[in-house]
Amino acid sequence: MTNPQQATRRDAHDLLGGLLMAILGFAAAWYAHGHYELGTPRNMGPGFFPFWLGLLLGVLGVLIALPALVRPGVRIAVAWRTLACVIGSLVLFAAALKPAGLVLATAASVLLASLADRSMAWRTRLIAAAVIAALCWLVFSLALGMVLPVWPWSV
Amino acid sequence: MDIAQGLWLGLQQAMQPMMLLYCFLGVFIGTLIGVLPGIGAMATISLLLPVTYHIPPTAAIIMLAGVYYGAQYGGSTASILLNLPGTPSSAVTCLDGYPMSKQGRAGVALFMTTFASFVGSMLGIVILAGFAPAIAEIGLKFGPAEYFAMMLLGLIAASTLASGSPVKGLAMVVLGLLLGTVGTDVNSGQARYDFGIPELMDGINIVALAMGLFGIAEVVSSVNQPREGQINDRITWRSMLPTPADWKASIMPMLRGTGIGSFFGALPGTGASIASFMAYATEKKLARDPSRFGKGAIEGVTAPEAANNAAAQTAFVPTLSLGIPGDAVMALMLGALIIHGIQPGPLLMTNQPDLFWGLIVSFGIGNLMLMILNLPLVGMWVAILRIPYSVLYPAILVFIALGTYSVNNNVFDIYMVAIIGLLGYALAVLRFEAAPLMLGFVLGPLMEENLRRALLLSRGDAMVFIERPISLGFMLACGALLAWSLWGALRQALRARERARES
Repeated sequence: MTNPQQATRRDAHDLLGGLLMAILGFAAAWYAHGHYELGTPRNMGPGFFPFWLGLLLGVLGVLIALPALVRPGVRIAVAWRTLACVIGSLVLFAAALKPAGLVLATAASVLLASLADRSMAWRTRLIAAAVIAALCWLVFSLALGMVLPVWPWSV
Repeated sequence: MDIAQGLWLGLQQAMQPMMLLYCFLGVFIGTLIGVLPGIGAMATISLLLPVTYHIPPTAAIIMLAGVYYGAQYGGSTASILLNLPGTPSSAVTCLDGYPMSKQGRAGVALFMTTFASFVGSMLGIVILAGFAPAIAEIGLKFGPAEYFAMMLLGLIAASTLASGSPVKGLAMVVLGLLLGTVGTDVNSGQARYDFGIPELMDGINIVALAMGLFGIAEVVSSVNQPREGQINDRITWRSMLPTPADWKASIMPMLRGTGIGSFFGALPGTGASIASFMAYATEKKLARDPSRFGKGAIEGVTAPEAANNAAAQTAFVPTLSLGIPGDAVMALMLGALIIHGIQPGPLLMTNQPDLFWGLIVSFGIGNLMLMILNLPLVGMWVAILRIPYSVLYPAILVFIALGTYSVNNNVFDIYMVAIIGLLGYALAVLRFEAAPLMLGFVLGPLMEENLRRALLLSRGDAMVFIERPISLGFMLACGALLAWSLWGALRQALRARERARES
């Protein structure tokens, strides 16, 4: 199932990764500098630690990205469909929990998550959704006593 | 209080019915998630964390610790039967465990790994009980400068000794430290990086972070992976008994594995995974016939299992006696202790000896329970392994969502897990290690506090870290580690360029 990895001229992983770190770091430092009191080493303000950490992260990001420009690497492989289904199922659950209740939110979430596995039969998906919803109700609502609306009409 | 008194106190604590119950719950759940590939101690401990808010701290930590070392027992089951590690530290067990099961010796492999795990754990507990008080004594002399320097060493060790480039590891640590600053600064009351969102004023939820970084990224990577092997044979009692030759061949590897495991477990920055790998490599080097390895050599199974269990126990040495977590799971455990109002460190032993010694004795009791759980009941775990992952992972996701929700009864936390999950997957794809990030996140606020105090006491003089002898020692070790790892990375890069030029 794994394709042979395609070679690239630059190390895409480290280039992108380093860039990401650099952006996060410098942005954090810039924000801290603009919004929080930096203070002095003797009397550190709330901005001191984040500012210097941000700068350090930015520099490290650059140090990661620069050698990646001249080093050969491989194509980045991302499981987009799986990612969308997994993250989507979490977001769906969060959005549906209060309005639709535990059982429906769980069932919907399981169905969406199961779309990531292409080989699953629809019957299996529906059975899994029902079983997991029942299991969640048993464990979280009954056994652990969490305060959760179970159905859309529950308070 | 000497060790004998401490153990007696601990025994009285640990034998209470509630403590025994939570110990059993912990090791049971630990074995379960250890057996199941795709969900590990990290995710489980963070899920159980909110559950522990309602029980007394000692019981809570006993249970969470039980999950941690229990997972080291169960991890080898999937490695042996399916060639798929249940926990990262059991990956090495696949190498000789799976060939053994193909030779019809799965029962023996399962038996020996359980026994090796037991030996490793018990000896690891002895070392824990012996060394932790001594190290705590030294720790009492620490001031803020020493603490800062020691935490710095721990973080640098974690980033450089982990696999992958040290620069990337350092970047992860720094990112973790930065994420730790999100929230209200204790000193000034200033809310940092909250962007007007009230939920962020308490900082990033540690459960959401752990789940997003480790749980979600793990699930996304594991779905659609082909699963090798079907479990066909039934494991009977008779098939489990090892031959006298097996016993003879395993004693020394078990002891060596325990030694290696205890060492790497106590060292910050290394843990059960490196310990098991090192033990395997050592046995292969010391063996009279190294070619047996990879084809079902029993040493290749007993040594790593003894090592990872010993490491799991001694990992508590720096965590409890100094307040320095050795790996990401210990960092989470440390976070759990702090949430329960317990301050780990040298004072823990004097202020709360019943917690410390009760925990240690509970480790011993837990390991005995695990022997029973894993030997006669191994059939149960094998049956559970038959559940296909495609049905398991949606359940894992919902459990993650509900578990995170239960911390604050706020759906915002579930969105946090989703966002951090995206970040976690991005980091995994780009080949960044998440464990140093976790360490940085947990240690961040502590480091800032100690840095502030140290500089306050020295009136802004940064030389204080070099002037004080213990701190100087830590700083020198930091410098040495950094230099060694950067030199290693440089050598690798030069070698790669040589190879590219030749081809």
